[in-house]
Amino acid sequence: MQGQKYVVAFVITAAIFATAFYIANRLDARRVADIRATQEAVSIDILSLETQFDLLGSLECSTIADNPILSEELNSLAGRLSVAEENLGQGNAEVVSLKKQYSLLEIKDYLLMREISQKCPKFKPVYILYFYSNNGDCPDCGRMGDVLTYLRETYPGLRVYSFDYHLDLSALRTLVGSRKIIETKGLPAFVVNNKAPVYGFKNLQEMQVLIPELKTLATTTATQ
Amino acid sequence: MDAGAFGLYICLFIALYFEVFLLISFFEKKPAKKNSELPAHYPSVSMLVPCYNEERTLGKTIESLLALQYPQDKLNIVVIDDGSQDNTATIGREYAQTYPGRVSFLQKENGGKYTALNLGINQSRGEIIGCLDADSFAAPDALLEAVKHFESDRSIMAITPAMKVYRPRKLLELMQSVEYTFGIFYKKMFDNLSAINVLPGPFSLYKREVFRRIGMFRHAHNTEDMEIAFRMHQHGLRIVNAHTAFVYTTVPQTVRALLKQRTRWSQGFLQNARDYRHMFFNRRYGNFGTLILPFALASFLAGIYAALYAAYRITSAAVARVSDIVATGIPPHLPAHAELSWFYLNTTMMTFVVAAVLAMTFVAIVLGSRIAEARLSVKSFAAYFAFFGLLAPLWLIRAAWGALLARQSAWR
Repeated sequence: MQGQKYVVAFVITAAIFATAFYIANRLDARRVADIRATQEAVSIDILSLETQFDLLGSLECSTIADNPILSEELNSLAGRLSVAEENLGQGNAEVVSLKKQYSLLEIKDYLLMREISQKCPKFKPVYILYFYSNNGDCPDCGRMGDVLTYLRETYPGLRVYSFDYHLDLSALRTLVGSRKIIETKGLPAFVVNNKAPVYGFKNLQEMQVLIPELKTLATTTATQ
Repeated sequence: MDAGAFGLYICLFIALYFEVFLLISFFEKKPAKKNSELPAHYPSVSMLVPCYNEERTLGKTIESLLALQYPQDKLNIVVIDDGSQDNTATIGREYAQTYPGRVSFLQKENGGKYTALNLGINQSRGEIIGCLDADSFAAPDALLEAVKHFESDRSIMAITPAMKVYRPRKLLELMQSVEYTFGIFYKKMFDNLSAINVLPGPFSLYKREVFRRIGMFRHAHNTEDMEIAFRMHQHGLRIVNAHTAFVYTTVPQTVRALLKQRTRWSQGFLQNARDYRHMFFNRRYGNFGTLILPFALASFLAGIYAALYAAYRITSAAVARVSDIVATGIPPHLPAHAELSWFYLNTTMMTFVVAAVLAMTFVAIVLGSRIAEARLSVKSFAAYFAFFGLLAPLWLIRAAWGALLARQSAWR
């Protein structure tokens, strides 16, 4: 009887642990589904914009300049992906797949924005293509990410596109090649508009010097 | 998962297993309600009140014993002053003069609580020896409730009461009132397992033959009430809990005093556990040897580990944050677009396991309050859950350090 109680207590305790494991996994699965749904929505939005662009040959430039297209959705996706990566691990197949989709959306948005900016002379956004590594070989990447997040929050017109350098995605490899990003020069690396790549960590003050265009962008009152 | 987190899971598993085990014990044998039956026989009782500098509360303690519902000719109160430097002796002497035959007063040089108790045992004649710390007060029916247990089963050799905090008002007292209620549940479940691990100073009762068979109180690292319980288990003497015998005790009102008291208890446990290490995992000593002692030690170590791990994580995160702020040059700010969504909640397995442990603790406290007919306010629960986890590691670590250095902790 006494021995049975020891066993029953063990089984109940193990069952509580198993339940905790199950709930945590279910919530992580819901997170992944949530990210996927958002990505699909963003994907449709980009496709719609591209189609609209193709159909009309041009868009109402004032509308674009006043409303940063998809910027919010992409930023929100970045935050959610980061949480998912933290919970599930960066090697998780779902996370990797979501990151690839996200990177593709970023590239498409970047290309579209470039095209729009050429067609709309008044629309002069500032782009940063940011390349980081999650492989443990880039101790400054976290801090660089913090600086860019702060800049993006301060200047809503600034468009920051973050890419995991080691992500196995052909479109990303093409982007890396076209922007001449060389890993051996040391990550983090970033490209501001069409300028030459900059390597290594830069703090907030250094970034403000590196990107004089920031002065042309409106700032949020909340963070200034 | 890193090794540190894995260790924390092991600690949580131990805590949860223990709580589940005790809850199973509760549902197997629920504590009986208080009834109005009176004992058929009233054994003579000598209530010993050892005291050292207790002028503030001694009078009230003696008054509570004088008010016990028990035949006057069967109850003798023995106040033993252990060389106090305040007015304790004067108060004790006055009571002995006012209530001759009912209150006796003994005085001795300071030698520690156990020496005062032993003097009281030698100088008294009761069939039952009761002890009541001079900072505690017994409920009027506490002795009747306890004596009924001796009558119900002749094999019972000692009885522990249900201890409550006397008039908790300050935050620290409210925290301890919840802790003591939790203790009432634990004590009753330990009783169900025949494995009560301590006979507390406030209102524990012994048959006189206990001391004839196993000897008198010992210094026992200033925790003679714990050591005698260990020794009784070693000799197969039965201890039960009278959950309807209430005793109210004053508790430390400052963090410093609390740390001192709990360090003494915890260090006493470690040192007594070392002295009685042969009982660990020894089936000859029943649940006391196979369950309570190992789990008590494991809980002790788990508490220290969890606290150190949490401190390490919090400190390293804080250091990293400060270093990031300095390196990045980003002024302190709130996120510009903080999103309120479940998505950002911490829903790791650890969160749910910790929630399960806290929920079990809450259930145990509620059951304890039902057993002891105690009412706990929301503020008390808040104080307990907010502060106990922060304070307990401090005395656990101090006690472990003290035990390692074999320092003697002070009685007062």
